[in-house]
Amino acid sequence: MTPLKIALTKGRLEEKTVALLEKMGYDCSQVRNKGRRLILPVGDGEIEVVLAKAADVITYVQHGVCDLGVVGKDTIMESTGGFFEVLDLGFGKCRFAVAGPRDSGIFEGYSVKTVATKYPKVARAFFENRDMDVRIIKIEGSVELAPLLGLAEAIVDLVETGTTLRENGLEILEIICPISARLIVNSAVMKLRKDEVEALVSRMDQAIQQKEERLCLKQSG
Amino acid sequence: MKKYHKITPEGIRDYLFEECLVHHHVEHRLEEVYRNRGFRQVVTPGLEFYDVFDPERSGIPSETMYKLTDRKGRLLVLRPDSTLPIARLTATRLQGQEKPLRLFYTQQVYRNHPGLSGHADEIMQSGVELLGAGGHRADLEILVTAIEALSACVPDFRIELGHAGFFRAIVASMPVSEEVLEDIRGYIETKNYPALDEILDSLPDSREAAALRQLPRLFGREEIFEQAESLDLPDGAKEPIRYLKKLYGMLSELRLSERIMVDLGLVQRNDYYTGIVLSAYVPQAGEAVLVGGRYDHLLELYGAPMQAIGFAANVDVLAGVMAAGNTETAIVPAQILVHGEDGFEIKALDYAARLTERGIICEFSVFEDREQAIQYAVAMGIPQVDFVSDGTVSIMLTKEENG
Repeated sequence: MTPLKIALTKGRLEEKTVALLEKMGYDCSQVRNKGRRLILPVGDGEIEVVLAKAADVITYVQHGVCDLGVVGKDTIMESTGGFFEVLDLGFGKCRFAVAGPRDSGIFEGYSVKTVATKYPKVARAFFENRDMDVRIIKIEGSVELAPLLGLAEAIVDLVETGTTLRENGLEILEIICPISARLIVNSAVMKLRKDEVEALVSRMDQAIQQKEERLCLKQSG
Repeated sequence: MKKYHKITPEGIRDYLFEECLVHHHVEHRLEEVYRNRGFRQVVTPGLEFYDVFDPERSGIPSETMYKLTDRKGRLLVLRPDSTLPIARLTATRLQGQEKPLRLFYTQQVYRNHPGLSGHADEIMQSGVELLGAGGHRADLEILVTAIEALSACVPDFRIELGHAGFFRAIVASMPVSEEVLEDIRGYIETKNYPALDEILDSLPDSREAAALRQLPRLFGREEIFEQAESLDLPDGAKEPIRYLKKLYGMLSELRLSERIMVDLGLVQRNDYYTGIVLSAYVPQAGEAVLVGGRYDHLLELYGAPMQAIGFAANVDVLAGVMAAGNTETAIVPAQILVHGEDGFEIKALDYAARLTERGIICEFSVFEDREQAIQYAVAMGIPQVDFVSDGTVSIMLTKEENG
């Protein structure tokens, strides 16, 4: 049986996913001691983990060279779709937000506003829904710079705690939507290997539910 | 100024030698299946008026069509789909013909995909349309043709069967806006369970909402029918299930049910399908290799209402699967190089023609002398050179010489 290949977003989501896999009883020692390897076996060979950048996780799953993927909703929203999004993994939580200086006036007046973002598709969709004609400029690094330097009136970005915004004199003007890590599945694989995929998804789901229950207990205790 | 005279546009490519051969094999095998079942070939133009593919009716987003204008400034597109032009020509030129019409085609379609995604913008499709026929006999005919067509090309595949009427019947009586409905549809299509649950939680409890919650999970084999029947469904939604179950049962009699899966969550965007929908998958490809379905209202749009069903297979993907690890499709060199000495060119051409009549692949030498002819044969791996003058002298080149 060929292993199910899961592409993980390198970094924090990778850590959390590996912890989840361990909780499900998979031996992840190879991933823990990966060195510079990018494809690693997990457990007794049922699963193979592939480490990739967020946007590439989607590309590999879209083309079917990876069967499943763990990636943030932010990256999914910026992509073109064409896969199944079957599970909210509940970690990697943050929000998409419009942010800027308090007096940005982004939602006021009739002049065309400029918005800087790493997520042009998300920004475009948000302002189109508001029937607002804005100029969108793609920025690769710290988007907070754009309003500070006078390039844009506001930004569309991921916000976790809001500390970076506050320290740079910016604030959240409007929340666009909540974000968390998702499990995605290639559409042909979902059909051709249904039983394996469903079994894995339901075990993952159970492990997540358990975690949440324990959190609730801790809070109430 | 930068010039692009040495490269092809993104998403467009050349096909060479083995690729052409394997494409030809796939097309030939598919067409043989179609012809043997009485389908007749049509070719529609590569360029058509934009109005034929109006996004409102076709579901093809305007931005994915390659557009240009004619002399009068009217908008044209490179054919993005073959079913709509066939509906156009059936509603016009073929109106007086005996129905049903069995038509097949093998032709390219063009779609403008987002950049650098690795998707082909020029896709060779080969498919059939059965026009002027409804009912389970017509549906069975198309399903069996699809199964035969795929069996002729690839060793392993699954066909997935759904019904466009199922989702429509469930949501018909729900008091929700178009936008919410579109969100629900999108979440079912992408099997996005968490988002679907969330949006249904925000609506008042109803049997429809409860059924929708189950929709993305309703895919698999015959057990799906039982699961679907156990749901509390509006009457309109029961009929599609009864119908799919009947088709599935009939295909089991043909021992074809092992190839068939059922997905009641097949709810494609704004498309023209009204009845059963099908898509086929192979293990080697991440996308569907064949898609189709029943489209009973499409012909109305061209002024000739009639029931119809069809499918299109993706020749490029099938060829890729067939090419992988298949030696039958390797290009073989010519068997004989025929070289006419000075003054015997016409005799040599005659000689070559007699060889080809016997089914021997031979090349006619265009070189000035023997030496060059032999060198060329060695380089190309041609095992034999025949020199034609008063008589014919054959030289066999050994394996070593052919290197």
